Amino acid sequence: MQSEQLVRELKKILSPDKVLYEKLDLLSYSYDSSFKARNNRYIPDAVVLPTSTQEVSEVMKFAYKHEIPVTPRGAGSGETCGALAVKGGIVMDLAAWDTIEEVDTENMQVQLRPGVVHAKLNEHLAQYGLFFPPDPGSSKMCTVGGMVANNSSGLRAVKYGTTEQYVLGLEVVLPDGKVITTGGVKSRAIKNVSGMNLTKLFIGSEGTLGVVTKIRLRLWPKPKARGILMAVYDDLENAPKTVLDVYKSGILPSGIEILDSSAIKAVNEYKPEINLPDAEAILLFELDGNPASVEWEGNEVARIAKNRAIKVEWSTDPKRMAELWQGRSVTATAAARVRPDGSRVFAGEDISVPLNKVTESLRRIKEIGKKYGIGVVNYGHIGDGNVHTAPVINPEDSAEVELANKLVDEIHRTAIELGGSTTGEHGIGAVRSQYAREEHGEALDVMYIIKKALDPKGIMNPGKLLPEREEQ
Amino acid sequence: MLQQVPAVKDLIRKCVRCGQCRSVCPLFKEIKNEGAAPRSHVFLTQLLRDGELEPDSALARRASRCLLCKSCSKECPSGIPVDQLVVAMRNHLKDHSKDNVKRLLLSKLFKDQKSLKTAHFLLKTSQVTGIKSLADKTGLLGLISSDLEKANKLTAPVSGKMASKNIAEVTPAKGKRKVRVGYFLGCATNLFYPARAHATIEVLTVNGCEVITPKGLQCCGMPHIANGDVVSAKTMTENNFKLFYDFDVDVIISDCASCSSMLQGDYYDQLFAEGLPAAVTHFKGKIYDLNKFLVDEIDLNANLEKLPKTTVTYHDPCHLVKSQGIKEEPRKILKLIPGVELIEMDGADQCCGGAGTFGISHYDLSRKILDSKIVSIMDTSADCVTTSCPACSMQLGHGLVEHDLKLEVKHPVEFLAEAYRKVK
Ligand SMILES: Cc1cc2nc3c(=O)[nH]c(=O)nc-3n(C[C@H](O)[C@H](O)[C@H](O)COP(=O)(O)OP(=O)(O)OC[C@H]3O[C@@H](n4cnc5c(N)ncnc54)[C@H](O)[C@@H]3O)c2cc1C
Ligand code: SF4
Ligand code: SF4
Repeated sequence: MQSEQLVRELKKILSPDKVLYEKLDLLSYSYDSSFKARNNRYIPDAVVLPTSTQEVSEVMKFAYKHEIPVTPRGAGSGETCGALAVKGGIVMDLAAWDTIEEVDTENMQVQLRPGVVHAKLNEHLAQYGLFFPPDPGSSKMCTVGGMVANNSSGLRAVKYGTTEQYVLGLEVVLPDGKVITTGGVKSRAIKNVSGMNLTKLFIGSEGTLGVVTKIRLRLWPKPKARGILMAVYDDLENAPKTVLDVYKSGILPSGIEILDSSAIKAVNEYKPEINLPDAEAILLFELDGNPASVEWEGNEVARIAKNRAIKVEWSTDPKRMAELWQGRSVTATAAARVRPDGSRVFAGEDISVPLNKVTESLRRIKEIGKKYGIGVVNYGHIGDGNVHTAPVINPEDSAEVELANKLVDEIHRTAIELGGSTTGEHGIGAVRSQYAREEHGEALDVMYIIKKALDPKGIMNPGKLLPEREEQ
Repeated sequence: MLQQVPAVKDLIRKCVRCGQCRSVCPLFKEIKNEGAAPRSHVFLTQLLRDGELEPDSALARRASRCLLCKSCSKECPSGIPVDQLVVAMRNHLKDHSKDNVKRLLLSKLFKDQKSLKTAHFLLKTSQVTGIKSLADKTGLLGLISSDLEKANKLTAPVSGKMASKNIAEVTPAKGKRKVRVGYFLGCATNLFYPARAHATIEVLTVNGCEVITPKGLQCCGMPHIANGDVVSAKTMTENNFKLFYDFDVDVIISDCASCSSMLQGDYYDQLFAEGLPAAVTHFKGKIYDLNKFLVDEIDLNANLEKLPKTTVTYHDPCHLVKSQGIKEEPRKILKLIPGVELIEMDGADQCCGGAGTFGISHYDLSRKILDSKIVSIMDTSADCVTTSCPACSMQLGHGLVEHDLKLEVKHPVEFLAEAYRKVK
């Protein structure tokens, strides 16, 4: 269908102000935060901004009939081209649909529409003493819909796990426009094993099986106390060892984060007031719970950390804690500060390795960086083996871009070789499917079968998650 | 040339398109699609720079859709000065912009004190007879958009005389002179808030400052820069600094947040490519917002008489809190004054949507942002609104009128002056 005709038809389905088609708008939907999107222009033919299940369903019915690709989009903070129309067609921006419909305090759950921003949700829930624990670094911008689609997690996954642990049910519009509710149409139960677990099927499916239009989340009581312990190392390899020591002592921190020397430098450049010590590595342990246990655990972790660290700082002062924790959460973007003429790129940024291979992975990533002459900043959720690597290059220099692509490929292969995964939380999108066969073997064929069953015409976010060559 | 602007050349590449800037942009909050996100400005500037986009009116319209409030620039972990990119775009696209009328008016009317007099007259007439009739008389009708019609209400009522009429070039210090202050009397304070200008001078002189207000002062250039007219802005900047230099003042202060941040060189590095004369560099580090100067740079005379009990709330102008990091100083002044009680509003540092001439070209958008500000003000039940920028004052004043609220908008220095006056 010609673009003009497409826009005309869409304007019949949605009110005209919910259809974008001006060139500059379409261009603004050609990026997310992935490296790949920097080097390619994935320009959709139209953008729609639905704010009801009915509207989403009508658009899907229309797209299904005419076999037009539809790509759901939240905030576009994804790092894999997930929300980009790599095959053209319609981008469905759900970010403006951001209503928190009901906080059911007695049943400790919330129902919301997909566009609610993660940080806004927790701000809202605070008044009830509740919270939604997954805590991505992109909390200020990413949508809960995007988190569901990517099964996102973050700084507190060590203790609280990932988004999937909290999703009790979903409303999903299927590629043909049909609307289903997973997890029980009327259910408000917290435990529920009735039927196949379709909720989990859609979580992490990256918008390739349907559009998530409503989310029912289980909430947790907000812990009363919190403390942060910083351990400073002059030898990078000692940091992962401390993590294992702490686990062995029977303590489960809510988060354990690592910053290597260049990450420390980047944070200090961005926010000098945080004033992290100059060192080879820093670990940040977050402990939460009741005040007495937090105090006890903090002292215990401090005692254990001292065996390998050159310095430890334990803080329960809200201001200092906020600084330290923010220091970590901004590293993702602040990484670029280590090179005046460079930028970090989001590629090879999310490998996940077994806990006992973290040290080796960090060492090997450094070596790979050296091999290609590319500076890498390492940080991440070390408590669950999720290592974030930030190559810092001049993305406007094509030779550097080419080298970076090679570096990234090597990092991904290293992860698989170490018994890990190419991605711990950011997903596959259009940037990691080439490793799918190696990672999943014959299970990949089952994924194709599921995809075909739910999306026979292949219109739902095509070109993502599954390797393309094999998709047909 | 766009390509030569340092931020365009060197910083765009550092934008990782993380979208964190979406979380703070007042316009994005209203428009709610990616085309209005600060990162879209960064991206489009890049495409324009690299020739992937040609200059055209659509792009100029995009570039005009920004408050230059700096919320994004302050939030960005990669250090992207988004507002400076926008300003560079506007300058590059000025021939394609529909804001030509605005630019024309600015360059003719908001230039020096002589032209301000004409503005004063025109505004007075239009406020009495309506902008349509004024436009009729001056033959401008064809140029006036419906937005401009609405925007006419935006300007504060002008009455009486401009401040500069009653301000001598040199006002001696009361008592022993401690410092010679150059007072940058901005256009908006001069035209719309003469009482504020007089209060500034009073407070400064009470505190041992000799105040120099050069007759030849021109506009600070911010409105011109914001509308893409860098050439005028640069000429005016040079003129203003030369005047202060010739008077040999120790420091320059302004009671207008935009003027002081402009004078501090907010956009110079990016836009004034050929460098600036020595008079400008001479004052580096010696230009202050009035609040900051009173609180941090002098020993503020604390001999104040009690004022009738008043509750006030304070709105942070973007060009103070985000450009200059000034948040506590005006509050300190208010708290110093016996009888005045400060009640904080929610989101005091959220933009009011005024942004100089933005409200003229984007009235409805600006109005939405303003309305939430007014709600925050109402929630405080304060008797008076204070802020440190005449442009914000006008915008807030307009909002208050539209909501049928009879609150005054003042600068903290006006309370201070009153409290000094009572001492006598
Ligand atoms: C600085 C930074 C830090 C980050 N930190 C973390 C982190 O700590 N942990 C983490 O897990 N991720 C992190 N991310 C990645 C990203 O923010 C998350 O994946 C996030 O959940 C994406 O949300 P979004 O709303 O931006 O989705 P988008 O990027 O818009 O979309 C992501 C995917 O979800 C799909 N999608 C979105 N909404 C829907 C819907 N309603 N229905 C169906 N499909 C949908 C899209 O099609 C796409 O495939 C980070 C990103 C950045 C830039
Ligand atoms: S301007 Fe800054 S905050 Fe916005 S997307 Fe770019 S890097 Fe992120
Ligand atoms: S300067 Fe203000 S209005 Fe302009 S893009 Fe940034 S946050 Fe938005």
